[in-house]
Amino acid sequence: MALLTAVELTIWVLEGQIPPPIPVPGVKLGLASVVTLAAMAVLGRREAGCILLLRVILGCLFAGSFSAIIFSLAGGVLSWAVMASLIGLFPEKLLWVVSVFGAIGHNAGQLLAAVAVTKTPGLFWYGPALLTSAIVTGAFTGLGAMYLVRALRKYRERRGF
Amino acid sequence: MKRKTVFWLALFAVLAALGAGTYLLRGVAGRRAVVSVDGEPMRTVDLTAAAVPYEFTVETDYGRNTVRVSQGRIAVVDADCPNRDCVKQGTISDGAIPIVCLPHHLVIQIED
Ligand SMILES: [Zn+2]
Repeated sequence: MALLTAVELTIWVLEGQIPPPIPVPGVKLGLASVVTLAAMAVLGRREAGCILLLRVILGCLFAGSFSAIIFSLAGGVLSWAVMASLIGLFPEKLLWVVSVFGAIGHNAGQLLAAVAVTKTPGLFWYGPALLTSAIVTGAFTGLGAMYLVRALRKYRERRGF
Repeated sequence: MKRKTVFWLALFAVLAALGAGTYLLRGVAGRRAVVSVDGEPMRTVDLTAAAVPYEFTVETDYGRNTVRVSQGRIAVVDADCPNRDCVKQGTISDGAIPIVCLPHHLVIQIED
């Protein structure tokens, strides 16, 4: 689990260096969520939640601002909640669907946080654009998570735990 | 199993297309930009009357953002927020996406 947290944190920091595909705050490739989803599938919901929280807190030590923590938490927690409630309903072959819903939850959480912070309900107009970007990135991170799940299972088998 | 995959692919494709369509429809160039903090308009800028680019600074209790206006375009060029996402966002010239500086509760939207 410590290993996964480290991986997720590294990806998250690296990701911060890549310009977002659409210049909306919060629209990032969401590569770190590959790890969250894979951890959820292999280790369990609670473990994935712990990894997520650790990443958000440690990540904000690097980014270093309170509003960044709130923003990151809003997306992360909503995404986690959506994926945790759906993961039992879908077979593993459809893990990418769970990922898409998680990404939609992530963007919705960040949009809500942005509207709350700036007190600008007009930002809801950007919901559709965020929906599209969530579907695209969610599908890709979902495929990534499916590969990671397979790799983790093999690793565990070899280690025998 | 296969049918379910097709179902979800189709559903998400339609939703993504609808989202992209709305985004494109809203992406028309506008005549003025509104700079607001905490939802309160601080300054309205006429984008059609900026033949000579100019800058101004929005300073509130949250912090400072320097805004640059040129013909039809607007950008935050400097800010003392921690992440400087607003500066990284660059120049906008249509209503598709606003400039947001979350730490400073600041939004710049282009309207018609
Ligand atoms: Zn800023």
